[in-house]
Amino acid sequence: MTLPLVLFFVIATATALSALAVVCTRNIVRSAVWLLFTLIGVSLNYFLLGAEFLGAAQLIIYVGGTMVLVVFGVMLTAQGPFLQLKIKHVEWAVAGTIAVGLFALLVYTSLQFGQPSENEETVQVSTLGMAFMGAAEATPRAAVTGYPEGMTPPPRTRMGYLLPFEIVSVHLLVVLIGAAYLARAKRRRATPQAAEETS
Amino acid sequence: MIVSLIEWLYSQAMWFSHTPGRYYVLATLLPVTAFLLLLLGGGIRSLVRPLRRTEPSARFLYYLLGGDRPLRAGAYFATVAIALSALLAIVGLINYLDEYSAQLQSPTPTYYARWAENTTWASIGPTAGEHQLPAVQLKLGYRIDHLTAILFAMVTVISTCIFLFSLGYMRDETEETVTDHEVHLPDHTHLQRRGRYGRFFLFLSLFCFSMLNLLIADNLFQVFISWELVGVCSYFLIGFYYERHSASTAANKAFIVNRIGDAGFLIGLAIVWSYFGTFNFLEIQGKLRCPDSDAHRKGVPVQLAGTILRGERMADQPRLVQLTSTGSLAVLIPDHFHAGPLEKGIIDSPDPLERNSQFAVMPYWLLIVAGLGIFLGCAGKSAQVPLQTWLPDAMEGPTPVSALIHAATMVAAGVYLVGRVYPLFTPEVLLVIAYVGAITLFIAASIALVQHDIKRVLAYSTVSQLGYMMLSLGVGGWTPGLLHLLTHAFFKALLFLAAGAVIFGLHHQQDLRKMGGLSRKMPITAFTMLIGVLAIVGTPFFSGWYSKDQIIGQALGFGLTYPKHLLLAILPIVGAGLTGFYMFRLWLLVFTGTPRDAHAYEHAHESPWVMTLPLCVLAIFSLGIAWGPQFWSPEGSYVGQLIEKSEPDAVVLGFGKVIHAAHEHHLLAGGLALAAALVGVSIALAAYSLRRFDIARWQAALPGVHRFLERKWYFDELYNVLLVRSTVMLAFALSRFDKRTAAPGDADAADRRVDPSSLDGAFSAVGLLMHRAGLRLREVQSGLLRRYVLVLILTTVVMFAILSILIA
Amino acid sequence: MTELTLTHFLVLGAFLFCCGVMCITIKRNAIGILMGVELILNSANINFVAFARFSPTFQLEGQIFALMVIVLAAGEAAVALAIILNFYNNHATVDVDRAEDLKG
Repeated sequence: MTLPLVLFFVIATATALSALAVVCTRNIVRSAVWLLFTLIGVSLNYFLLGAEFLGAAQLIIYVGGTMVLVVFGVMLTAQGPFLQLKIKHVEWAVAGTIAVGLFALLVYTSLQFGQPSENEETVQVSTLGMAFMGAAEATPRAAVTGYPEGMTPPPRTRMGYLLPFEIVSVHLLVVLIGAAYLARAKRRRATPQAAEETS
Repeated sequence: MIVSLIEWLYSQAMWFSHTPGRYYVLATLLPVTAFLLLLLGGGIRSLVRPLRRTEPSARFLYYLLGGDRPLRAGAYFATVAIALSALLAIVGLINYLDEYSAQLQSPTPTYYARWAENTTWASIGPTAGEHQLPAVQLKLGYRIDHLTAILFAMVTVISTCIFLFSLGYMRDETEETVTDHEVHLPDHTHLQRRGRYGRFFLFLSLFCFSMLNLLIADNLFQVFISWELVGVCSYFLIGFYYERHSASTAANKAFIVNRIGDAGFLIGLAIVWSYFGTFNFLEIQGKLRCPDSDAHRKGVPVQLAGTILRGERMADQPRLVQLTSTGSLAVLIPDHFHAGPLEKGIIDSPDPLERNSQFAVMPYWLLIVAGLGIFLGCAGKSAQVPLQTWLPDAMEGPTPVSALIHAATMVAAGVYLVGRVYPLFTPEVLLVIAYVGAITLFIAASIALVQHDIKRVLAYSTVSQLGYMMLSLGVGGWTPGLLHLLTHAFFKALLFLAAGAVIFGLHHQQDLRKMGGLSRKMPITAFTMLIGVLAIVGTPFFSGWYSKDQIIGQALGFGLTYPKHLLLAILPIVGAGLTGFYMFRLWLLVFTGTPRDAHAYEHAHESPWVMTLPLCVLAIFSLGIAWGPQFWSPEGSYVGQLIEKSEPDAVVLGFGKVIHAAHEHHLLAGGLALAAALVGVSIALAAYSLRRFDIARWQAALPGVHRFLERKWYFDELYNVLLVRSTVMLAFALSRFDKRTAAPGDADAADRRVDPSSLDGAFSAVGLLMHRAGLRLREVQSGLLRRYVLVLILTTVVMFAILSILIA
Repeated sequence: MTELTLTHFLVLGAFLFCCGVMCITIKRNAIGILMGVELILNSANINFVAFARFSPTFQLEGQIFALMVIVLAAGEAAVALAIILNFYNNHATVDVDRAEDLKG
């Protein structure tokens, strides 16, 4: 019972239970809060896996950004007292079956990977940064899988991830503009109808 | 420019004079141009008729094409066209005979090539190589020989006379409104309809074209096309007054009975095609009948020449066929063969067949079936027993139609074809033909004794005379039979036209019992009809005598040579007596004695010149068409000698003994025929003119016989019970397949229900089920987001499962 | 089970994934569906980073990819919320069961 293992079990249990609560809660605001906890748990998992930058990024972006967005959405689409949208038991059963089946399948597949040990060194943030700048040597030290036996893979050149970085930046800009356009204020013809419904 | 025009005209004339047979093609095509013009005119007029009040252009066209009354210009054009055809035919005939007599003095091999041409209409398969025949090859062509030239002239001249006659006879149809007194509408009035002048000449022109095409055709396929066309025209013309139930039924009957014959014709055609590979008459004759000498001019044994070679396959060597006189195989002769094997009596005939280079064999019984099949077609067309029931009913058509189609030409087509494909017929088939002819002539003559409709008597007389022709062809009298065809055409057309003049003069009265004493009122008609009657009876030196006498002579020769078939000699003589009786009965009842219907007699009048001129022309022909240099002897007929030049060798070679016997006893035959005719005529004179005895007492004494004859030997009733009723019952039973059990007035609901019990329902059921399946499938796209997501995830799970478990 | 290994993280990722799938399938609120999508994306991220840690081949690439996914998920959440707001403006409700205008 090493420390990482114990830590993992604690964090993983918390994350899993929060995720389950997201599903099972009927109230949408409570669901959002449980999602918040799940995301925090995932971030802690990242820290456990030695990906500090990623964990921090997760906290900033998801917890600080996306969850705020979600809560905003919940509040903007509120209809008086929050409606409890009922779901039939049949649907619970069907979805549950599928989910359980999928889980079993995924676990079975996961067990096929064996139990490899973790790498000696973790990735530094500086390496990440250099990679995004296009200056990292992203080659693995071990042989690349996929080549047939007896054949030496060709020497890999230095490569970086500058292009994906730029693409994602542009993508964010586009998303910003698009979302702003989609959600712009329009002449609200549905509001009198909404007022009648909720009264 | 004038020079080029003259050159063009000269080149056109050269086109004709290079192959004078093309005159005949032109003469055949003239009536069809009249047909097309009438069709176009009438068609355009009826198309613009609904618009004539609103559109000025439509009104212009409508009144240009005749307006409310039928335009007579079309009829005049058709008459002019057929008259031109007649002129061309006569010119062609003179040309032909001229060249033929010149050719005899200095033979040129291209003579027949100038009077025959053909072209391939359709062919499938390779034509290269001399021994290769394509799989299917249909040819169209014409070939003029003596028989064709003479018959062509006959058809065109008679047609011209009849066209001229119709211009007067069908005058009623030029009115805008015609009242048909024989059609009773539910509210007890007579039918009023528009005049149909143009339609008459339309179909008559088409008929002339088809008949002429039949005459000049050189292959069975073209004959068949014309065969069907004349049948169709006959249908339209019999059903000219189609609002009359009797007329439309008669038209149906004619067409259907003809069709039954055509079924046999088709069987014959199929057999001929399969084994001979050709439809051409000359080629069939060449393949089937052994020629005098082989390809190398070496003579063939004389007892084989002209006969159908029969043989049996030898048991020990199946490749070889031994020639015997009673073999079960018939041998087909190739183009190039050696006479040597024929002398030895053993020929080599391997399988598979190489038709053009080696001897081929076919089962002999199939040859008989082919002959019987083609004869069945001819029997249908020429109204022989058992297919004779349509001809008397065909008298529902206007009288010129009866004259042209059902007396002179169409019914003659059957006899003509028997004459043309004569080499195809085996002796057994010829015997069948003879018996059918003999039986027909007797039955029809007996029925004609008691008919009281003027046209029915003539119709049965036609059937009887056709029986004479068939009998003659069956017993080896090829020339007499076809000569009788020629003479009969003229005097029967004359008789029908005269009857038409009588009917016209009496305002469409056809019953003999209401006529009498009309010779005072219609002298020309009476006189010409008397000439016709004398000709048909066989009065010496009238045209009918030459042919009839020879027929009876030939039949007597046959009966004496083969005493087993003496009936074939007795029946025509008895028939001659009956003919004499009923024809004179007809003439005497119409033209002599006291008028039995005073009202009709009062209003009777002679016909206008358009109608009496054809009568006179035809009377001249009936009198003298068969005259020749030795006109006191039946064989002395000039036309007969011309026809004899077209006689196939098979006749003389196959019936040599019979012809010899006929020559020996020809005086006896002539005497018997004349005696029988005299007996018949004198009985008729005694009964109807001199009033020596009372026919009515005979009728009362033998009521059963009288009724039997009057009801046409109960043929119609027999066919009705045997064939018509069972067919109709079968049709009703089968129609239940298609009846749907829908509630009345609820047709839509029946469409929506699945009802596989009827054929229509079964097909609808397929569509209906597809529709319902589609409706169900539509529900997959429910629009519910969650369901889509569920399906998406389910698919992903399944794919992942497949990938991870089954593949990895 | 004596040591923390790849399988643990993969199982956790699988569980989160199945929760996300359940969420998408079950929730009638459109924003609930969006939450399910977030769960799925995060589970995938955990897988990426776990493989980055435990496999010598994808040390760097796993984390880079996970970062990309985070960024893109954020963008996608923004657009999705814009759509949901539009839907709310037109139908006055976020119940996706009412979004059946495109049924066949």
